[in-house]
Amino acid sequence: MIPIRRVVTLLLVLQLVSTVYLWTVNGIGTASEARFAVFLAVNLLSFSTVTYVYTHEKWEEAVSRGWILAAALGLALLLLFSLYFS
Amino acid sequence: MTETSGRWARLAAWFDTRLGLTYPLLREAPRYSINPFYWLGALTVVAFLIQGVTGIMMMLYYVPSPADAFGSTQYIFQSVYYGRFLQTVHLYTAYAMIMLAFMHMMRGYFVSVYKKPREMMWVVGMVMGFVTLGFGFTGYLLPWTVVSKSATDVGIGIIDALPGTISSFLSFLIVGAGGDATELLRFYDLHVVVLPAVLLVLLTVKMYMLEAHGVAEPTTGPPIEQKASRSLPIFPDVTIYLLGLAAMFGSAMLLISAIFPLSLPPMYSPQLAAQFTAQPDWYFLWIYQILKISAFEGSGLPVALGLVTLILVALLALPFIDRGSSRRIAERPIFVTVGLIFIAELFVLAYWGLESPGQVIATDDAAMILGAVALIVGTSSFALYTVFGQRGAPSPDSREKVSKMQGKFATALAFVLLLSGGAMAIGASLNAIVRVVLYGTSASSLDQLGLSIGFLSVVAFSTVFLMYRMELAGASLKRRFDWLEIGWSANDSN
Repeated sequence: MIPIRRVVTLLLVLQLVSTVYLWTVNGIGTASEARFAVFLAVNLLSFSTVTYVYTHEKWEEAVSRGWILAAALGLALLLLFSLYFS
Repeated sequence: MTETSGRWARLAAWFDTRLGLTYPLLREAPRYSINPFYWLGALTVVAFLIQGVTGIMMMLYYVPSPADAFGSTQYIFQSVYYGRFLQTVHLYTAYAMIMLAFMHMMRGYFVSVYKKPREMMWVVGMVMGFVTLGFGFTGYLLPWTVVSKSATDVGIGIIDALPGTISSFLSFLIVGAGGDATELLRFYDLHVVVLPAVLLVLLTVKMYMLEAHGVAEPTTGPPIEQKASRSLPIFPDVTIYLLGLAAMFGSAMLLISAIFPLSLPPMYSPQLAAQFTAQPDWYFLWIYQILKISAFEGSGLPVALGLVTLILVALLALPFIDRGSSRRIAERPIFVTVGLIFIAELFVLAYWGLESPGQVIATDDAAMILGAVALIVGTSSFALYTVFGQRGAPSPDSREKVSKMQGKFATALAFVLLLSGGAMAIGASLNAIVRVVLYGTSASSLDQLGLSIGFLSVVAFSTVFLMYRMELAGASLKRRFDWLEIGWSANDSN
């Protein structure tokens, strides 16, 4: 059983943190623009995962453990990838 | 906790009653449409919206004149906050928009969404596709780099080869008579005013028709009446689903933009352009490659343009060409096969065009390669239809059926491999024969001829063997050959 509320809370926190971080990035230069793009991608991907959980919960359909894990892995990889541009 | 939820619910209800968010203005979406393949058109619109936002931001700095276009583009790149990022995202979402529109069209083709009562939706959608290509063509010139200007000149050169009146009208419309300055200004106006307006009008018309006819039913699985007829409200359910899908698409675009940021080619000048091999962008490469075939050079160019026009008109008029009543893929082998050949030829032509910039293609090479692709894809498709039967595979609900399915897959795979090998062997044999006829016999040409004919014989024998065993399994043989039944037992046919 996936602790849905915890997953969604974590995703929302991640979204908030990445949104705050986005405002601190210097917008000039290839590396900082790439970092901005990666954090915006993290933001959108976590939003997308929240919508997946929301819709499936609402439609009373099973939330796939595989999808949630894939999204979590994707988000972790993206955050690691952002270090490449620092 | 309950009190907090109650407060949120009251707030949501307040907004709902004032704004009419849940008022059923749009029809509900069936549950089976909650699948990304049903939303390729919507994702194309999302790409268009991203284009609009990033484009408007760049418009604040861009100057559409030959003297300043490159300078202003360079300024956006180097001095504007997130300028390079904006341009990169604008370009990649433009590519994605074209690719998504193509996927949307081909999905519609294979599941024949264009059949009654959606014929006009298809026609409008095709015109929207042409407008999307127009966006690509007009937008490509705007940075005024040597790459973009040279590629656009290739396109304008093609327009000049059209019959007199059409050529004059199109040249007047998109190039004008004032040289580079008018050309750039017209392209800019088309790109930022005319084409967006046309696309929005067409989108409204298409959405209206979608609302009238609803989403097309799926063509696989049990009949629609047997499926649970569950539907979902547009707001909030479908809207939130679509937002999630759009966010996924957006994050993919952002990642690609981060990994492959744009770099600006040098500014256009006639001297620099003379040293540069002009080539259109990837989505026009297939047309460019057809025009480069030597038979279509010079006076043959109108014939090639006629051929391309014929393909596009056939796509536009598809609902009036395919008059069959069935929408199921399993019952439309000819149209499905033609569609597969079309996709394969497009990819081969585009890749070939990318690999041979500026080179004229020999007519026999073109016939050989395009013919081989059509032969391989066509025979593979018909083989799959033959093996699985036109009714499609039964749903495997028992171990026996699963085993039969695996057997059918193995047979289909063997068929595809044999037919692909056969097509290659035929191509190699023809090539060897042509070499012998044109250049006379030599050790290498005779070697090639012998090897290819030998390979062809092996493939032909294997095909006969496979077909005989298939007939044997079906117990429908009139005459039997012991030497083709090695290792066969009566139980195998059950």
